Amino acid sequence: MVVHRWWRNLAGALSVLGALLIVVFGLPALDRAVPVNPDAAAAQRREVAGGVTVVPPSGALIAKTSRSGPREGSILFLIGPARFVMAVAPFKGDLPTAYSGLKTKIQSMRGYQVTADEARIVTKSGLHGLTASFTAPGRTGRFAVFLAPGLAIEVTVTGSEADLAQALLRIDESIATIAYGN
Amino acid sequence: MTTSAPAGGRPWRFSVRPTPRATRALSSLQLPAFWILAGILFFSGMRLLDLLSSPFARFPAATTTAIILFALYAVPFWLFIASMDFLEREPPLLMATAFAWGALVATTTAMPGNRAMLALLAKTVSPDYAVAWGPAVVSPIIEELLKALGLVMIVLVARKQINSVLDGMVYGALIGLGFQVVENVFYALNAVEMANSGDKVGPVVATFFLRGFLAGLWSHTLFSAVAGAGIAWFIVRTEKSLLIRSLGLAVGLFLAWAVHFIWNSPLLADGLGRGGWGVLTGLLLKGIPALAMVMALLWVARHREANYYISYLVQLRDPKVATERELHTLGHGHLRADARRYAKDRAGKPGKKAVRGLQMAQAHLAVELSRAPFGLTAGDAVLLHARDDVLIRRSRMLKLGLTEAIASPLRPAVPRVVVLGIGAALFLCGLIWFGISSMNAA
Repeated sequence: MVVHRWWRNLAGALSVLGALLIVVFGLPALDRAVPVNPDAAAAQRREVAGGVTVVPPSGALIAKTSRSGPREGSILFLIGPARFVMAVAPFKGDLPTAYSGLKTKIQSMRGYQVTADEARIVTKSGLHGLTASFTAPGRTGRFAVFLAPGLAIEVTVTGSEADLAQALLRIDESIATIAYGN
Repeated sequence: MTTSAPAGGRPWRFSVRPTPRATRALSSLQLPAFWILAGILFFSGMRLLDLLSSPFARFPAATTTAIILFALYAVPFWLFIASMDFLEREPPLLMATAFAWGALVATTTAMPGNRAMLALLAKTVSPDYAVAWGPAVVSPIIEELLKALGLVMIVLVARKQINSVLDGMVYGALIGLGFQVVENVFYALNAVEMANSGDKVGPVVATFFLRGFLAGLWSHTLFSAVAGAGIAWFIVRTEKSLLIRSLGLAVGLFLAWAVHFIWNSPLLADGLGRGGWGVLTGLLLKGIPALAMVMALLWVARHREANYYISYLVQLRDPKVATERELHTLGHGHLRADARRYAKDRAGKPGKKAVRGLQMAQAHLAVELSRAPFGLTAGDAVLLHARDDVLIRRSRMLKLGLTEAIASPLRPAVPRVVVLGIGAALFLCGLIWFGISSMNAA
């Protein structure tokens, strides 16, 4: 084999390897080097509305907050490839009714998602709720509803990347911290 | 340098760069790229096993089901991709390498890359923007780059095997298929994780349907085939200036990125409004143009390659090797298939087998002719053997009473492949519609 071709082949292969290393190690290093901006959610309890609070998932960014009244508001966290929305609104009714309302909302908005059977869920502070999951061609998701006195707390988690597992662990920890009046 | 086919002046004369006969697979072992590729595949394979070990420990049934379902799902795709290049078939080991790059390397490296770039987007632009447009902006850049690197590696290891734009599409599609299969397995496992109801296969089956059928036709296999066409164009069309070749490369990569971007974009993400019809229309509006573009590109690439090789058989002017009507049949996939069916109608399964054998021998001879600069006249042993093989297979056909390997003269005016294609498209739309409707009712 001609020697210069061998070296050219080596240079080409090392370039491919270099590009892979940049993606695997370079981009995450760059990400760590870029300072977290004020949108980052500190790991301290935040009020969403009406006395409902949550500890944001670790490393989450707050993408959006809204407050349309003292007892109505929402917050959207971005955790890697996942988004975690928590909405609080006045509600008079029981838990199955609240659950059914959110399920209908998701089905009609998203069109083609599948909802699995609901399961019971309890936060560390003792708020009871119902949760289920959905999936779609471009994303998977989970939703949950909790009831606080006169309030419904709706939680929706969606993601569109293959490696959601890590983010889900952090989101689960955050959901467990939802509390009322503490 | 690209070899001109004997049909000089024809548009396909530069379409193929024949593999030199001296090329041997073992010679790749001397290339540093081979060993670097082997190392990358090994470490990526280990990483993939590591990533799967945790879900497997918690959800063994769901994980096994996901792997089996999506592996089976890949089979028809693989067969279709392999059959794209009938005349000059690609080495199975190289095809497997392309698939492995997509499945092992591109997936495992895309995960940290996507995550970091999404976070960077959120920090540098805004989290709100990252939520809405992140998947459309980040994934096409990272994933198309990583898959394209796989084809670059294949070129470095076996450059001589990339003979035509069609070859680039074949390897590109296989890289995309590998990526699609493993990504879908992870999506299925995410769905299991999201469901939070233990080791159940329900979410896996739902993901299989949604990602396999609603999003499967216009996914990574298709995106990477376009990128592969661009890369192969750059390599094969050496008669063109570097600028033009670079433009071809850029167009291929851009189109791959663009169709991926459109598919991932939040536009029409939930269809044209409420209800199944809106969702179905949204899916088709985003997916069909990309599918149509790739199928058109594939049609052109296949015919250019076929015309190139068949022009060598034309030059022989030997009806014992191939009659005029056989040459026409050989250049079209649907006519080849029809010729085999026609032979089966007249002489049963042996007839079909005999025609298939003749077609393959003719294709082999055409490829060998393209690799031999002096043709049959020089008494080349390989060529003579290939021609003798054609003659033997023809005599077998003649014994069965079949004089020519041609399509039925009574075949319908509209090719069966078109009818089947329309039927399959309608069936798919029906399936998607049924799926959407039934899921809404869930």
